[in-house]
Amino acid sequence: MIKDYFLLAYRNIIKRGLRSWLTMIGIFIGIAAVVALIGLGEGLRGAITAQFGILGTDVLSIRASGIDFAGPPGTAVINPLKDDLVDKIENVQGVESAFNRFIDSAIVEFNEIRDTGFIGSVPTEEDRKPFEEMLNLEVEDGRLLRDGDSKRVVLGNNFKDEDNRFRKSVIVGDRILINKEIFEVVGILKRKGSFILDGAVFMNEDVLLDKVRTNDEEVNIIAVKVRDENEIERVKENIEKLMRKERDVDRGEEDFIVESPQAALKSLDSTLFAVQMFVVIIAIISLLVGGIGIMNTMYTSVVERTKEVGIMKAIGAKNSAIFSLFFIESGLLGSVGGVVGVIMGLIFSYGSAALGRAILGTSLIQAKVSLPLIIGALAFSFVIGTIFGSLPAYQASKLRPIESIRKVI
Amino acid sequence: MKEELKYVIQNISHRKLRSGLSILSILIGITAIFALLSFGFGIQAYIDSIASEAGVDKLFIQARGIGAPGTDQNFFISKEDIDFVKKQIGVNEIVGLYMKAGEIESRNQKRINFATAFDTKYLRLVEESFAIDIAAGRSLGLILGDKVIINSKEFEIVGFYSSVGNPQDDANIYMTKQAAEELYGEDIKDKFGFAIIRAEKGVNPTELAERIKEKLRKHNNQEEGEENFFVQSFEDALQTFGNIITIINSVLVLIAVISMIVAFVNIMNTMYTAVLERTKEIGIMKSIGARNEFIRFIFVLEAGLLGFIGGILGVILGFIVAKIGGTTAANAGFSLLKPTFPIWLTLGCIAFATLVGACSGYFPARQASKLKPVDALRYE
Repeated sequence: MIKDYFLLAYRNIIKRGLRSWLTMIGIFIGIAAVVALIGLGEGLRGAITAQFGILGTDVLSIRASGIDFAGPPGTAVINPLKDDLVDKIENVQGVESAFNRFIDSAIVEFNEIRDTGFIGSVPTEEDRKPFEEMLNLEVEDGRLLRDGDSKRVVLGNNFKDEDNRFRKSVIVGDRILINKEIFEVVGILKRKGSFILDGAVFMNEDVLLDKVRTNDEEVNIIAVKVRDENEIERVKENIEKLMRKERDVDRGEEDFIVESPQAALKSLDSTLFAVQMFVVIIAIISLLVGGIGIMNTMYTSVVERTKEVGIMKAIGAKNSAIFSLFFIESGLLGSVGGVVGVIMGLIFSYGSAALGRAILGTSLIQAKVSLPLIIGALAFSFVIGTIFGSLPAYQASKLRPIESIRKVI
Repeated sequence: MKEELKYVIQNISHRKLRSGLSILSILIGITAIFALLSFGFGIQAYIDSIASEAGVDKLFIQARGIGAPGTDQNFFISKEDIDFVKKQIGVNEIVGLYMKAGEIESRNQKRINFATAFDTKYLRLVEESFAIDIAAGRSLGLILGDKVIINSKEFEIVGFYSSVGNPQDDANIYMTKQAAEELYGEDIKDKFGFAIIRAEKGVNPTELAERIKEKLRKHNNQEEGEENFFVQSFEDALQTFGNIITIINSVLVLIAVISMIVAFVNIMNTMYTAVLERTKEIGIMKSIGARNEFIRFIFVLEAGLLGFIGGILGVILGFIVAKIGGTTAANAGFSLLKPTFPIWLTLGCIAFATLVGACSGYFPARQASKLKPVDALRYE
């Protein structure tokens, strides 16, 4: 029975060749736009959020509150963190280790080209190993820093690229100038996929404080590794309690922030998500227009087949059968449009991402069309087809047999 | 012409539902395009007005480094730099600005905003550059004479600046150079994050920027590319900002145009149906002497009229959407996002809709005009 419905619907669609195609074009342009835009947005979001390095589930970061996004953490703050705080935090219950992180900017020169760059500190002595583990620092070439490396640095992977900002690949053993002082490159890190870490210069903490830092006691950020990741919330509260006491502020008036990298990432991610949604909503408008097209075609189809419906009814077809017939037809229009649209969307998103990467030379432009997105798009196109088709189908089902047969179009 | 129009209108109103759906499909696209463009032009107009008033003779020097100006302590413009630039030909006046983070507290509420401080001798220069005005000031719930606490020191409010139109700049705190030096300590003294220059009358700011960049670089014994500052005219900076906005807006409009393509297909579909339905009618018209061009013309006219009506309704709806959007943005502090509705935008949108309609009617119309009268008359 159901098979017959499909067969009838299929025949009707085929019979109206050009018009069926035009109707479906509306849907597949819309679906292709939505799939491509969500796919590109998803990929871009993934690439951007991947920039934010440390993603351990057992890590907390502490920074002074200030104006966000005004530079590296700890720059535009009111009451900076002091460097003696870290020892007290290390004694908080549940904390395995805590490190001061100094992030500075300096003029970096190589191949006679100068540019501003980030300089990050690496703690010395017994703090070195746990810090390297926390940031998952591994070298691709050369070695990591050691104590006493006063004239040596380790560089992020971007320095190794042929087309980096110094227009020449830096290799181990090269010399670079930082604020006009010569440093030897002893290692290049493995690629982290984060432009901050991949573009940074790493220096021993004592060297950074000596050569780059203008204000010694101020710390940009304190990184904390907790002993048990399930206890992270408790440790966070303990640290906040200590910080309130140290900085003499009341609960609710904290001038510092303790958070996990995931929490920090979440707010950025939700902003990006909002932007993506706005774009997708504009694209969905075209799907809506496509849906109206289906409705239009189906109404036409009902008018054209009034006589046919009358005959069907006269030989015993129920209202529900007539409804199903038209309903399935419009659902089919939507679904076929959806399938073609998804294929077009896939081609378009991956194609334009590849094109964008080639033209702009950045790995940031990625497309990621997930399975749920594909299934969602197909389901959505089917739903659009059926929703916009249900009114015409209802109208057809309510036709009176005698009048229908008599009717001359 | 009147006869044809009457005939076409009759046809459209005969198929009310289907015509309505075709019009709806074009209307939706036009609404989106009109609303998006009105915001784009609004921002451009705003930028142009600032560029022509505030930016015409001004340029700025900004300390390099990472992050917002004034926050990176490793890079700054010194008092000596300012004095040196002041002596250059073409420079009328120059003022250095401190830009620091300040925690402002009032009635037990705390916020962290930027505090900008400068020598009040150059008040006019700064006000002109930032397009702010005491006379048109706002009151923000606080009143003149109220005390606020900034970084735990008490300050009195002596004035409110007019709104710039974005929440960050409108939250700025302005104070004198001396006050900032007392508040932030001797550490920051004469280390400016930002400096504003007024060019002499008749001097091109873009050229002056180039010259100052070169002179200051040589003065500080820095090689090209090594500068710890950059110089730009306000106009150029605003234009750069404007270009970015235009690009973003264009992308959104392009996406909205996709829906117009779909609408195009819809109208084409409706018109093909209309041709089929009226095959017999076309046969009769032809057999009593109607020319091919005439048949083609009435179908194109019909499709164009559908587009035209969709265009008008779309512009009206787009106007409402943009107004609501603009009011919402203004309430959120972004009064910068103010849509404008130039007459040619309205006319352009309607013309575009009509054109899309007429074009989509072309192929169905040609098919109709090529029908053989005898076959058409026989058609069931």
